[in-house]
Amino acid sequence: MKPAYFEFQNAVKLLCGQNALERIPDELRHLEAERPMLLTDAVLLRLGLVDEVQATMRAEGCAPVTIFSDIPVDSSLGVVNRIAALYREFGCDSMVAVGGGSVIDSAKGARMMLSRDTDDILAVSGIENLRCGRHIPFIVVPTTAGTGSECTGVAVIRNEEQGVKMEFLSPFVEPDVAVLDARMTLRLPARATASTGVDALCHAIEAATCLQSNPLSSAYCHAAIRLIFANMTKAVQHGADAEARLNMAMAATMAGIAFSNSMVGAVHAIGHALGGVCHVPHGEAMGILMPHVMRYNLPAAAEGYARLLPEMVGWEKAASIPAQMRGEAMVQAVTDLLGQLHASAGIPLRLSEAGVEEQQLPRVAETAVNDGALIVNPRAMSVQQVLELLRGAL
Amino acid sequence: MKRRLQTTIIAAALRLVHAAIVELQRLDPEVAGELSRMPVGMTYAIHTGHHAPSLIVQWDGQRLLRLSHPEGKKLCTLQLKALAISFRLFTGQMGLAHAYAQHAFTLSGEIADVMRLARLVNRAEAYLFPPILSRRILPDLPELPVSRLRVYVRVFIGFFQTAC
Repeated sequence: MKPAYFEFQNAVKLLCGQNALERIPDELRHLEAERPMLLTDAVLLRLGLVDEVQATMRAEGCAPVTIFSDIPVDSSLGVVNRIAALYREFGCDSMVAVGGGSVIDSAKGARMMLSRDTDDILAVSGIENLRCGRHIPFIVVPTTAGTGSECTGVAVIRNEEQGVKMEFLSPFVEPDVAVLDARMTLRLPARATASTGVDALCHAIEAATCLQSNPLSSAYCHAAIRLIFANMTKAVQHGADAEARLNMAMAATMAGIAFSNSMVGAVHAIGHALGGVCHVPHGEAMGILMPHVMRYNLPAAAEGYARLLPEMVGWEKAASIPAQMRGEAMVQAVTDLLGQLHASAGIPLRLSEAGVEEQQLPRVAETAVNDGALIVNPRAMSVQQVLELLRGAL
Repeated sequence: MKRRLQTTIIAAALRLVHAAIVELQRLDPEVAGELSRMPVGMTYAIHTGHHAPSLIVQWDGQRLLRLSHPEGKKLCTLQLKALAISFRLFTGQMGLAHAYAQHAFTLSGEIADVMRLARLVNRAEAYLFPPILSRRILPDLPELPVSRLRVYVRVFIGFFQTAC
């Protein structure tokens, strides 16, 4: 159903496919950047994944002025502040982030501070409240196919003090350029491939069925789900399959564009709380929670789920299922896919497998109901309802 | 003329929402619980448009006080983008969740704080609006422990006392 009003924005230039990495220097020149700061994490640095990016930047005369690689699995306010300080210290004029969601979101956070000349990221927290500020050229090279952060106006940053993940939402958070190159994900282990792919699937499903869904974001959701369903197993089982890798990267980007324009829902709200309180990796939290939340949402979202079913199981199979049962069938199709990924890549299906303990659940539930993603979930959720859902997933 | 009428109605509606939350603190354990979890000094400023009414409230640990200007460090400011949108929001034509979904406001402050406010306003609206309207604008129609009539009467008395 068309909403009474909607907005849609995506201004990120996408470089996708063969030799995409080698085009970064040219993009920096067009953005009038000469002193880029390179952001990544220690694992990617050790694996040599950043070498290729650095080499191409150096060869074209725009070598990084400094490299910051001390970014943990969950980006944090402290890390963001340190990045901003280093950027100022070295007189950088642009950023190139090479990594997963944490690296990209940390870079987004620092960029928000720098472009608004503030020392405290909390001073710019909010929803759509940012003015454009000073433009800082920003190129993103994702090394996972999941977060979609390369194309979103959202940054999720952990507040260590409060044990919560904070969301910053503004179109001015979007990068200038996103680079999708299969070389960046070829060595991603099977479990990380599966869990990040599940994150992308969850973005697409929630963005298509939440209260902020709109026709344009839905189009991206459908395309993303189709690509994920066709390529996820190949990418997990045959990591070196460059075509499957690039298709998964495109799917993640499309799902990112979708949720950047129509938000997500309760899976993400509870998942952020699980990450903040229990340190469950984001993609794994999505996989554990998705079937439970989708079942909870069924009374309000069955029609939306039914519309997505053909992308998951194909048109012929979807058509063979009675219309009133297609919503439930979609939940089952997601559950089946997660079961396969559990068997082939070892992603957890229960919270207990992810190390969550019963006594942590009340705090997770209290935190989840204060997450912004919950506001557009198709059904309201109280602390008690979140708690019951969590107990069901334990 | 239309704008002036809308402004008057919005001003009354803002007062009504505040009065309802104040009364519900005594009548509805859900509202009392929500307020008790709120950080002391938490201040909300809702601006309904350019040269339009505002509602500024602060939780002092016991009561939700109405202020004329925002004060304190813990501030959450909602700026609605146009008076016409505010009118829809405060006359039961659109719920807070839909207002968010339609990019009706900007928020300066922490998103977690606005979620608390959203739950309070949703609860107040569930009492203030007839079920047929509430069902349209609220994500779920909650079970209410107190009758609407009782809440209306208490809010009316509260209004009367403030006016005197």
